[in-house]
Formats: sequence, structure tokens, C-alpha cells
Amino acid sequence: MVTQRIDHKWGMVVDLDRCTGCQACVVACQAENNIPINTKSFYQQRRAYHWIRIERYWEGEFPNVKAKFIPIMCQHCENAPCEPVCPVFATYHNDEGMNVQVYNRCIGTRYCSVNCPYTVRMFNFWDPKWPKSLRNQLNPDVTIRTRGIMEKCSFCVQRLRRGEVNVERRGIEPLTGERIPAADRKLNYRQMKEGNYLPACVQACPTNALQFADQNDNTGPVKEYFDEANEQIETRHQGGHVDEAHTRVYRLFEEIGTKPNVIYLKKVEPFPLDKA
Amino acid sequence: MMPSRKMLPLMVAGGVVTVIMGFIVVVLFISWFSNPPFGLGNAPAQPIAFPHTVHVAENNIQCEFCHRNVTKGAAATVPAVETCLFCHKDIDGGTVTAQSEIEKIRTAFETDTPINWERVHRLPDHVRFIHEAHIRYFTDETIPVKYGINGEEIIQSLDVAQTCTICHGDVGNKTVVQPKTGQSLKMGTCVDCHRNNSVPTDCTVCHK
Repeated sequence: MVTQRIDHKWGMVVDLDRCTGCQACVVACQAENNIPINTKSFYQQRRAYHWIRIERYWEGEFPNVKAKFIPIMCQHCENAPCEPVCPVFATYHNDEGMNVQVYNRCIGTRYCSVNCPYTVRMFNFWDPKWPKSLRNQLNPDVTIRTRGIMEKCSFCVQRLRRGEVNVERRGIEPLTGERIPAADRKLNYRQMKEGNYLPACVQACPTNALQFADQNDNTGPVKEYFDEANEQIETRHQGGHVDEAHTRVYRLFEEIGTKPNVIYLKKVEPFPLDKA
Repeated sequence: MMPSRKMLPLMVAGGVVTVIMGFIVVVLFISWFSNPPFGLGNAPAQPIAFPHTVHVAENNIQCEFCHRNVTKGAAATVPAVETCLFCHKDIDGGTVTAQSEIEKIRTAFETDTPINWERVHRLPDHVRFIHEAHIRYFTDETIPVKYGINGEEIIQSLDVAQTCTICHGDVGNKTVVQPKTGQSLKMGTCVDCHRNNSVPTDCTVCHK
């Protein structure tokens, strides 16, 4: 039957060894998701916001210094701390592994922002404004959030939905436009890439440090890492020991049990600072 | 009996409160009753008096002939001026008013000015409705039974025009299209129909 739901479980892998801190993802996200322009006064009031940000850490003493970059976006936790505190259920977990913010339900209590350990939830203190020259640049698929509601990274859900409609429901092959037979209509990684259905930050990343796919998609780049991460969780749960030196996979604040759907890969240090 | 001087400010305050409360009640009253089934929703004034009756009911033009994008994309779209000229290059109206209205289209075509149609059915900004997906579902022959908004069974597959009437009402028999004459286009309508047909009711299906 056509109406049968084809379920996905989305996941992102951030390879810190590849991230150069170029901020292309930040710009792409800002353009894709109708995020207003942060002015000087926004920063002075500590109210500037991005859905994805690059955190920069310096290591070592001058002149032996190294910069480390970590892109941080909403981790789409399985046990999200933001969800139980919302009094109006404006944020909830859907069956695709995404933490969803419903703008029209939100009343702006900001409890979720306080409870988020990653501080990725952003509050609209003002109505968004754009210069007149940028009005036609706005993305028509994304709601413009008004003053007084919370917003955050959505894994570019508008792109994923467009992909699901075009490939799984209509059965249109992204590049060629051919009809896909009804049995094969499952959005895979190649189709997401060709049809621009990947999140904007992933598409913009020049070094492929950000990877996004279905966690169960064998052809996608993220399945092996999520398998490894799930194995680690299972080992820890049974009281076993995970050899941290021989794995690159980790999740942010894993120890507080949020179970994020974003995995980070440790930076490989061939020349550590003390030996340089 | 005259009220004492001490009572006067109290009475003024009472009067002000009454006026404010009355204003709120009137606003709520109008906003509630301007929706169907009470039908106080007014049709916006259009630049050209376009009668759907003549085009659809009398001359059997299909919806998707003018609203071209309705089977292809999210928005149904109003037709370009060229689409009107497709017929009205040759066809004149039967009455004097009709002729003058048709003349407006020809002038617009010759002077390259778009016609600023007023939008009738408007959804809030946070709702993304895809016309194409809904028409594809109701015209699909492989789905044996589909359900309407009130749970009624639809056995045979519909054509495009019948699908439109589910939400928009019988537009083909109306000279002036009024908003929300078919369905109230509130979220409850959408969710009812989605539940009846057991299609996804996840928030991100419509709200993005």
C-alpha cells in the first residue's frame, strides 16, 4: 500500500579530524533555515544565535599552539532533557529519531533552553528582520519564527520530507527523473546526495567532516559508526570496559545518558604537542 | 438619587472595565462566528469578477487546466494571464459586464501587467500543505478504500476535481469564491482526515 510509512532513523557523524573550522556549515544553516542576521547589539546582549556553531579550543603554549574545532548542533538526544520540561509538549521525539520543535505550540517558557546540556536551543527575543535585499533569499519551506518562541536545529527536516515525498511517494529518481518501481522506493544515501536532500550543513561542508544518513542504511556513511557506538553502550551497560584508546567514536556528554543521535569522531594526533 | 461624590471614581472605573470586557467579548464573538458553519467569512474583492460557474459548471473546464501546478507541486497557483488568453483571445462574454471584464484581461496582457488576484484560502505561515500529495492519494487506483474527513468511505478513486471539493467545497457552482466554505481548514480537519486514512500525523509532516 502506498500509504505505508517507511521509517527512518536519521543520524549524523562529525569527524573532528576533518573539520577545519571554516564555518561554511554555519553560513549554510543560516541561509537555509531563515535565521536572522546577528548584529553587533545581538552579540553585546549575548542574544546572538546559530543553530550550528563552531567551538574553538586552543591547546599548548605559544608558539606551540594548536586550534581544535568542534561543530555543535542539536544532538537530537534519545533521552532529551529538553522534552520532559516543556509544559505544552512543543518539543517531542518523533519516530525517526529526531527531536522536533513545534513552533506553533511553543509559548516561550525557555525551560528547555535551561535544561539543554549542549546549549543549542535558541530563543527569539525579537521579531526577525532582514534587509530588503535579502527578502527574496528566504527559504519558503521553513517557517519564519516570531518573537517569543524557541528554535533549534531540525536536521533540515524540510529537506528530508521533500526527499521522502519525491523518492518514496512519487518515485522520482533525483538526477534522471525516471520512475522508480514501487518495491524499491526507499530513500538511500545516493539519492539524498543527488537530490540535495541532505541537511544544508552537510551539503556545504568542504571536507566532508559532517556526514548524514539513515542509521540503518548500509550504503550510507554513518551506519558503521552508529553500530560501534551502540556496541559501546551495550558493553558499558553490562559493566564491561571500553578501550578508549582504540576507538574514535564518542558522543558529547555521554555520561549523563542523553543518548545523542550525533556521533563525534576523535581528532587523530600524529604529532602531539609535547613531541613537536 | 444622585450618587455620592465618593462613589464617582468607582463608577468611572467600573464603566471602563465594562467597556474593555465588552470589547474583548465582541472580538472573540466575531472571530469565532466568522468561521463555518456560521459563514460570516467574506470573500475578498478581486480585481476581475471571475465567475467559476461559467467556466466550470457550464463549460466543464477542469480545475487543473487553470490551476496548473496543483498536480505537480505544493501550491495550486493562480493561472498566468496567458492561460486566460488561451480561450479569451477569441471568446467574448455574453453580457456587457462580462465583456468589460474580459477586456481587462486583454489589456493586462497587452500592457504586460500581472493581475493581482487576492488570495482566498490562506493557511498560517507555519503550515506547509502540499496539494500534489493529496491529489495523488485520492486519485490513486491501487488504494482500495479511502476515507473522507468525516470518516465516510470513498470506494472508487476520485478525479482531480472531486478531490478539490473535499476541502474547497463546490467552487464550480459559485460566482464568488468565499473562504472556508468547504472545510474550516483548521488543524482539526487535517488531523481527522489523516487519522481516518491512517497516514502519518507526525507534527513535522506539516509543520517545518
